[in-house]
Amino acid sequence: MSLAPAIDLQNLQKTYAGGVQALRGVDLFVGTGEVFGLLGPNGAGKSTLVKVMLTVVRPTCVTGTVLGEPVGHQATLGRIGYLPEHHRFPPYLTGRQVVELFGALAGMDRAPRRRRAAELLDTVGMGGWSSRKLGTYSKGMQQRIGLAAALINDPALVVLDEPTDGVDPVGRREIRDVLARIRDEGRTVLINSHLLSEVELICTQVAIMVQGRVVQRGTVEALTRDSARYEVLLRQQPPAWTLEVSLGARVENGAGIHANSAEQASAEGTPSLFRLVLPQLGSIELQGVLDRLRNECFEIVAVTPMRESLEDLFIRAVKDPETGKAFAPGAAR
Amino acid sequence: MRLKTIQTWSLMVAAYRELNARKLFWLSIGLSGLVVASIGALGVNEEGISIFWWTLESPFFNSSVIADETFYKLLFTNLGVSWWLGLGATILALVSTAGIIPDLVGAGTIDMMVSKPISRSRLFLTKYATGLLFSALQVTVFTVACIIIIGIRGNSWEFGLLIAVPIVILFYSYLFCVCALVGLVTRSTVASLLLTMIFWFLVFGVQSGEQIIDMGRVASEMEVKAIERALETERALGSDAEPVEIERLEGELTAQMSDDATWKTVYAPVHAVSTILPKTGETLELLERWMDDVAAMPDRFGPDRNRDRGDEPGSDIFGGSARVSRRDLQTALAEERLSRSGWYVIGTSLLFEAAILTLACWIFRRRDF
Repeated sequence: MSLAPAIDLQNLQKTYAGGVQALRGVDLFVGTGEVFGLLGPNGAGKSTLVKVMLTVVRPTCVTGTVLGEPVGHQATLGRIGYLPEHHRFPPYLTGRQVVELFGALAGMDRAPRRRRAAELLDTVGMGGWSSRKLGTYSKGMQQRIGLAAALINDPALVVLDEPTDGVDPVGRREIRDVLARIRDEGRTVLINSHLLSEVELICTQVAIMVQGRVVQRGTVEALTRDSARYEVLLRQQPPAWTLEVSLGARVENGAGIHANSAEQASAEGTPSLFRLVLPQLGSIELQGVLDRLRNECFEIVAVTPMRESLEDLFIRAVKDPETGKAFAPGAAR
Repeated sequence: MRLKTIQTWSLMVAAYRELNARKLFWLSIGLSGLVVASIGALGVNEEGISIFWWTLESPFFNSSVIADETFYKLLFTNLGVSWWLGLGATILALVSTAGIIPDLVGAGTIDMMVSKPISRSRLFLTKYATGLLFSALQVTVFTVACIIIIGIRGNSWEFGLLIAVPIVILFYSYLFCVCALVGLVTRSTVASLLLTMIFWFLVFGVQSGEQIIDMGRVASEMEVKAIERALETERALGSDAEPVEIERLEGELTAQMSDDATWKTVYAPVHAVSTILPKTGETLELLERWMDDVAAMPDRFGPDRNRDRGDEPGSDIFGGSARVSRRDLQTALAEERLSRSGWYVIGTSLLFEAAILTLACWIFRRRDF
């Protein structure tokens, strides 16, 4: 938390008419210059959170600041760039006109607006199409225009809701590059996305929301640290002592996970390959284990350092630990 | 201030581009051109009315009865304004602009708009103003074209006709504020269009109803006064007076006063409702009334307009009675109508519009999108 806050919200609550509690006391800190990923299943409250920050939705209760000003401060909105998920731009305007319109609404003068629009359209790969009307664009092209429109006012904070939605792999890569450039310029980016692999590639911090609350928050590295492990593939059944070298050590094969090798053997016979999973083990300790196995004439087929993916972490976070099923979509009523 | 100017101007430019992209806008302008061409094709000469190079001979309607320029000005107010701008073009304008507010509050658009440093009220009112742009462009093009036609064909350049521009925009704004409110609440173009048309019809009904009831009320009031005068005359005869006649007149007066009270009772609530509602018809009539000042038109609304009507007593209360002539009744009604100043007509209508827009802004400011 040594970074200056770009977003610092406490106890953000939103109850819609009809009693739907979309946000139930969210605390969120995003440091200046971070690329922050906001994750969660449908109905978790991600979009509502973003909309509250951008005054699209009025909060029931909130304290804190966005870019150093209270939530809803109008002039601050001129320093934020926003691309909503299901945006709908006027089809009768050209790409350049759309980007310039949003620059004007942010209060930019004509000359800098035109100059920056031309730069951004080139950046998002739409320079050659900027004189065509939006009605003739594909979804991916409209997304690129949307990104340019979100960046036209040279924002300190960029909020993007599903920025790569509908964009082809090449386009996604280009958008990622644009985001990396924005990050390198010291701007703060808040990305709301379901594409976890995208988020994992670019975000420095993530938060996972479930049913109107933040349930996990931190760097991807920190959140998946507990899942770091080594997997040792052996030709023979590992000896019993290997299950005691680290907490949670176990033997697996293709048929499933077993608490110990004896149980596995009785259940399925003797498989040709055994996978020894060693969580919570440092690389130095691993060398000792490998040396001892070699000394005891075990054939080591492979050693792989493993870590839980963001997707695994996400799936785990959105599942009810008691039932093992995903939480019902939508916030509680 | 600079920020507000940039934002407002950009929204107006975007609105113009939207109009430009709508076929209905150009259809409407094209139809305006046809109406202007029709006005230009008509003429009046010594023999009668001319249409292009044909003449319909008429001893009652020719250039000795009406001057060229007056003929064209009458065509402008009666055909151009009352029928085309006041009805046809207004319907086309409503169809074209009914979607402006529903489009604004639609998902995906509104997020982008309200997340900019522009107050919600100003955003809503600016979008409302862009809706009036359609009508403004339409009526300006039409009026300027008519001025040119009247100038060429009637040899009279009447720039005072430009007063039609603000009046027709005002008239349209009364309807469009309702359209905007319904569009905001329902988010539906079809609903806002249909409900606005119903509202327009309702306003027309209330205004027509008020006129009819007012006619009855004024006629009844005049009848009471006439009976009172007759009674006074009879009583003034003193001993020569016929007791039977006095008794008959007293009975007639009692009955008429009862009728008068009924008319007043019925008129009061209708008048109250009419006062609150915008004066669509009366606003357009202002054009004809003011045309006399700005474009030297014959006054067709003053008390003298009834000078050719018979002064013989009529047969019913609306067309006069045994004691009240039709001419006196029509003159009294015209005087009452003229007693409502233009500022009353526009002021009460603008109050209605302001109330509707305030309500719409309040809803727009509080709504989650």
